[in-house]
Amino acid sequence: MTAVDVATARAGEQEIVQGTSLWRDAWRRLKRNRLAVFGMIVVAIIVVGSLIGPPIVELTTGYTYDYIPPDSALVGSFPPFTAPDGSFSFAHPMGTDDAGRDLLARVMLGGRISMMVGIISTLVSLLIGVSYGATAGFIGGHLDAVMMRIVDVLYAIPYIMIVIVLLAFFGGQSPIGQLFLLFIGLGAVSWLTMARIVRGQVISLKNHEFVLAARASGTRTFKIIFRHLVPNTLGPVIVYATLTIPQVMLLEAFLSFLGLGVQAPLASWGSLAADGVKNIAVFPWQLICPGVTMALALFSLNFIGDGLRDALDPQMRKFNA
Amino acid sequence: MRVNRLNFASAMSHARPAIRIAIVSTVLALLAACMGVPPDAQFFGRVTPPEGQEMRYISGPEPQSLDPQIGTGQPESRIYNALYDALADYHPQTNQPLPSLATHWEANSDNSEFVFHLRERARWSDGDPIRAEDFVYSWRRGLSPELAAPNAYMAYYIKYAAAYNAAEVFVRDPHTGRYVVIDEIGSPVLEEPADEDSDLTPFRRLMVGLPRVTLPGDANGQRRALDADPKLATVVAGKELVPVTAEDIGVEEVDPLTLRVTLVQSVPFFPGLTTHQFLRPVPEQAVEAHGIDWTDLDNIITSGSHHLSEYRPYDKLVVTKSPTYWDRDRVRLEKITFYIMEDATTMMNLYKAGEVDALYNHTVPIAWLDMIRPLSDYMDAPENTIEYYVFNTTKPPMDDVRVRKAFNAAIDKRALAEFKGTGKPLTAFTPEGLYPGYPQAEGDPFDVESARRLLAEAGYADASGEYDPSTFPVRQVQLTYNTNENNRQVAEFVQAQWRQNLGLTIPLKNLEWQAYLDDTRTLDFNGIARRGWVGDYLDPYTFLDLFATRTGNNGSGWFDPRFVAKLEAANREQDPLERYRLLAEAEAMILEAQPVIPLLTPSTSWVKKPYVKGMYPNPITQIPWKYVYIEHDPALWDYDMPSLVPDARYSDARH
Amino acid sequence: MLRFVIPRLLITVPMVLVVVSLTWGLIRLAPGNFYTGEKVLPPAIEQNIREKYGLDQPWYVQYGRMLANTVRGDFGNSLRYQDQTVNEILRASLPVSASIGLAAYLLALAVGLGVGIVSAVRQNTRVDYAAMGFAMVGISLPNFVLGPILVLAFALSLYWLPPARWEGFWSLHTILPVITLSLVYMAYIARLSRSGMLEVLRSNYIRTAEAKGLTQRAVVVRHGLRGGLLPVVSFSGPALALLIGGTVVVERIFALPGLGQYFINANLNRDEPLIIGIVAFVSIAVLLFNLIVDIAYAFLDPRVRY
Repeated sequence: MTAVDVATARAGEQEIVQGTSLWRDAWRRLKRNRLAVFGMIVVAIIVVGSLIGPPIVELTTGYTYDYIPPDSALVGSFPPFTAPDGSFSFAHPMGTDDAGRDLLARVMLGGRISMMVGIISTLVSLLIGVSYGATAGFIGGHLDAVMMRIVDVLYAIPYIMIVIVLLAFFGGQSPIGQLFLLFIGLGAVSWLTMARIVRGQVISLKNHEFVLAARASGTRTFKIIFRHLVPNTLGPVIVYATLTIPQVMLLEAFLSFLGLGVQAPLASWGSLAADGVKNIAVFPWQLICPGVTMALALFSLNFIGDGLRDALDPQMRKFNA
Repeated sequence: MRVNRLNFASAMSHARPAIRIAIVSTVLALLAACMGVPPDAQFFGRVTPPEGQEMRYISGPEPQSLDPQIGTGQPESRIYNALYDALADYHPQTNQPLPSLATHWEANSDNSEFVFHLRERARWSDGDPIRAEDFVYSWRRGLSPELAAPNAYMAYYIKYAAAYNAAEVFVRDPHTGRYVVIDEIGSPVLEEPADEDSDLTPFRRLMVGLPRVTLPGDANGQRRALDADPKLATVVAGKELVPVTAEDIGVEEVDPLTLRVTLVQSVPFFPGLTTHQFLRPVPEQAVEAHGIDWTDLDNIITSGSHHLSEYRPYDKLVVTKSPTYWDRDRVRLEKITFYIMEDATTMMNLYKAGEVDALYNHTVPIAWLDMIRPLSDYMDAPENTIEYYVFNTTKPPMDDVRVRKAFNAAIDKRALAEFKGTGKPLTAFTPEGLYPGYPQAEGDPFDVESARRLLAEAGYADASGEYDPSTFPVRQVQLTYNTNENNRQVAEFVQAQWRQNLGLTIPLKNLEWQAYLDDTRTLDFNGIARRGWVGDYLDPYTFLDLFATRTGNNGSGWFDPRFVAKLEAANREQDPLERYRLLAEAEAMILEAQPVIPLLTPSTSWVKKPYVKGMYPNPITQIPWKYVYIEHDPALWDYDMPSLVPDARYSDARH
Repeated sequence: MLRFVIPRLLITVPMVLVVVSLTWGLIRLAPGNFYTGEKVLPPAIEQNIREKYGLDQPWYVQYGRMLANTVRGDFGNSLRYQDQTVNEILRASLPVSASIGLAAYLLALAVGLGVGIVSAVRQNTRVDYAAMGFAMVGISLPNFVLGPILVLAFALSLYWLPPARWEGFWSLHTILPVITLSLVYMAYIARLSRSGMLEVLRSNYIRTAEAKGLTQRAVVVRHGLRGGLLPVVSFSGPALALLIGGTVVVERIFALPGLGQYFINANLNRDEPLIIGIVAFVSIAVLLFNLIVDIAYAFLDPRVRY
């Protein structure tokens, strides 16, 4: 804790002041990290592109991610900026896929879906992990021991295999259903570490004076955990979450490669890359366009995560990975 | 990491290596893409024949079993073609039956009984002769309920085979030993007592007599059958139930070199059926000695042109020329290595690198066709398969034939075939051009006007009688297909056609294989489902008989007794051309009732190196390996797809 | 130490049974079954099949039988590959997966540690940036993208290496799969060891050592290394889980006859005994491996004492 923190705690002010100055500090440090800033800009571009891109593309060129041209001569994979007859054309800046669909629209849709999968799965694991870890850490004693034993035990399960079984057997009902399964399955993969981190934080925080103060004033345990402790664990949690998103996205890509991930007609970067890999010898842009976009997004998210971790440096020494 | 102390320049140089790597990989990939196919290439990839007469082939995914009566898929069948012989084997170009273990055969007057004369020189790989008793043993074993062979239905044409396989029972009078049979008008009666003077054996009496009544083997099934038929119940009362045994099946050893098969109906194409793996004999000596392990490398006994010499699951299976095979003088390949894998891109890569000599059917990815099709090693001939959509004719709005015909006519199948790249458009219900002399009917052509008019007539019109898409209950219709890239592309194309031509957006429903089967098997599905049918044998009947039963593989709910009658009449017919005419009339009935939307006849779509000879893109991609060889003289290579017109070299040799 | 190890060993069996039960439950809840093919089977044949495999018995009987099989370690015959028992399949495919997994991880350790240590020692130089840039690519690039690119370059254009298949571990066929598999771990290990070393190098006891006059090399080797190794060791646990996933993809791309291929196909074919067998086996392996990792960690970090 910085001197400011101690001072404000001593002054008996609400912890929210403590949080603000911590965050402001971190933000200042983050801004000076050029790579993280670069990452944030790229991610922002990709997010904005994925959100408003499809309607814009549809307005200008009329292509959506699932539009197959009825004229069979146009059904085929053409390179970026090329018309079927070989001349230059702005119609398809990323080319088309095998069915003649505009690849740019599909990559943008892929962005939406991949990021949605990444974010929601991470949120799922956050929700479970934070509640679980905070409760275990705060209550301590036998309950903590049991809860952590369960976590240890669950750690040893080869999750990938269970997720594969889950998707192989229950998947294929509908694209939306498949997405739901992905959220749950992928979320379940990452919550364990989150729980451990939060528990560690809570344990180190629970003897601080603001907690004693809350207890003394009769606040219920539940409120202490969720209104006081959890916000203070947000630092490491956010860092871990930011680093989990790219990992989850890669997991989803791998599942799509095996045919278990996002189902047609929806597409994610992973499924687009998987489709593109098949044709790499013939139509390399089918892999390069989504692949580079995905790599850029993952890079950037990793940079941001690294930067956040360094910005919150004092707390984060333990969690380099 | 004290990155926050850096200025932007160093930060860029930090990032630069990463960007450099991205550029390098892009360049690599582009370079490689340019090397896809050099513009003047005649073949895809390296063309260097292997040493001697050794061939490397990709058979497909891991075989379920090396037991020909258990393995059900095409990957296994290509391996069985090397290991096991049959009464009749495939003609390499037409896949019609050529005498193999049988030298010749005769049928009776209505094609319900066949006598096969066996080849004296036929031997198992352990030297034992192959005789009629081997077939009797094999078919009885294959049909045994305990074996639970999924392909057992291939033998159901044999009398009492289905009853034995289903563990059914006969009904017999305990006092006289006489069985309950079905007489000519279909009523159950007690059979006539045996004629004392007759010289028929009891088995012959069973075969030529009236068909015996069979009931399910379990009490519940029996009760249901008897409740449904009171006349039967009366006759059955007081009788004892006798299980149908293996000895009741209509296969008989007349003498060691003569086999007689009695069938349950007229089946003129039965010799063609004997090419199927299920009907190939298995070695009794090995099966009885080792049970389920009889196909292990140390135990296996084979009858075909090659014998098993190595098997590494999920990797490869190697066979070598068999010294005991009756036609060994014709066999030229000393060794065949079957590689086991399923990813199409990997296969094409191996082929390009010259590590394999040929692939099996449907392995060329569609996206590559534009590049591969002009090359000389691409095999592209029609297959004995059809791809179609089936209507659920029991549910509105598809219960109206006009609606069905409208949906059929609104699809441009020629454009679909072009879009798919492989296959020919199909308007009828059997593959086009595979059966010489078959006067195939033509189905409805592509006609948008007519389609819209039909829908208007069916009631989906506005006040002035013009077709109005908004009146059509789109929500009651779906197009269901199983998860598969090919199916999806076709479904999306067809959906676009309906949207364009009828103004209707039919939702697509994509299900994983198992769920799709569950959904479409009962007549619960809404509207339309995707189907494909691979012919079991080379005869139009294999497609037409899909509608001979109400359930099973019918899938549409359409059933017309007149259609069934026409089929039966056709099979009783001795003159093949007349029989074809009757079958074509039956097919025309299907096309008129339109329970299906025919789409395509797929084409074989595979590649083989030009130095591989004797291997043809035949209709069911079954390769009889004894005709295949490696040609080392480039002047004699195949510089184009080899012709499927029957070559005199493959005429049946009776020696 | 024993007080720590014994309970962990004892809990392995119930753990595996829990995992297996969960998997079995998923399989049974799902629609469909293993014997439905493209054509609808006649009801008689379906009945025969159900009887042969005991599918017509109540679910708890089948569940009990599955548990008993698991405990005995005998999972019976594969439903799909009826000639082969599950144990035969495991015996045949495990060496393939294990050998490329191990080789990939060792390669990743060797290269990753080397890169990470050099980067830490030469922090903030060009070498450091280049290395960390590579590492970033490594963790962002999926192996199913990298693999085909390598195949395209080295097997299909240059014809130096075979594009697929397996001919034993000591053959050219192993090179591309191992490289493809190891890249992402190289990247992780490089980053982890680098940051671990940096942390140690900044701490007080290193300053003491330097003040005492130790050469930089001695500092690095004797003290810094341990700090760099610790996070790598604790990463090994989750790494194994990722490795399992990675091998599945690599086996698919290169058509290797390993556990991953069997597992995926078993899922698609609904081959229950094979799925259960593989899951049980892998669970045991993961549990034991985690135990070994924890013991190794204890040896390396004097602060941790069981």
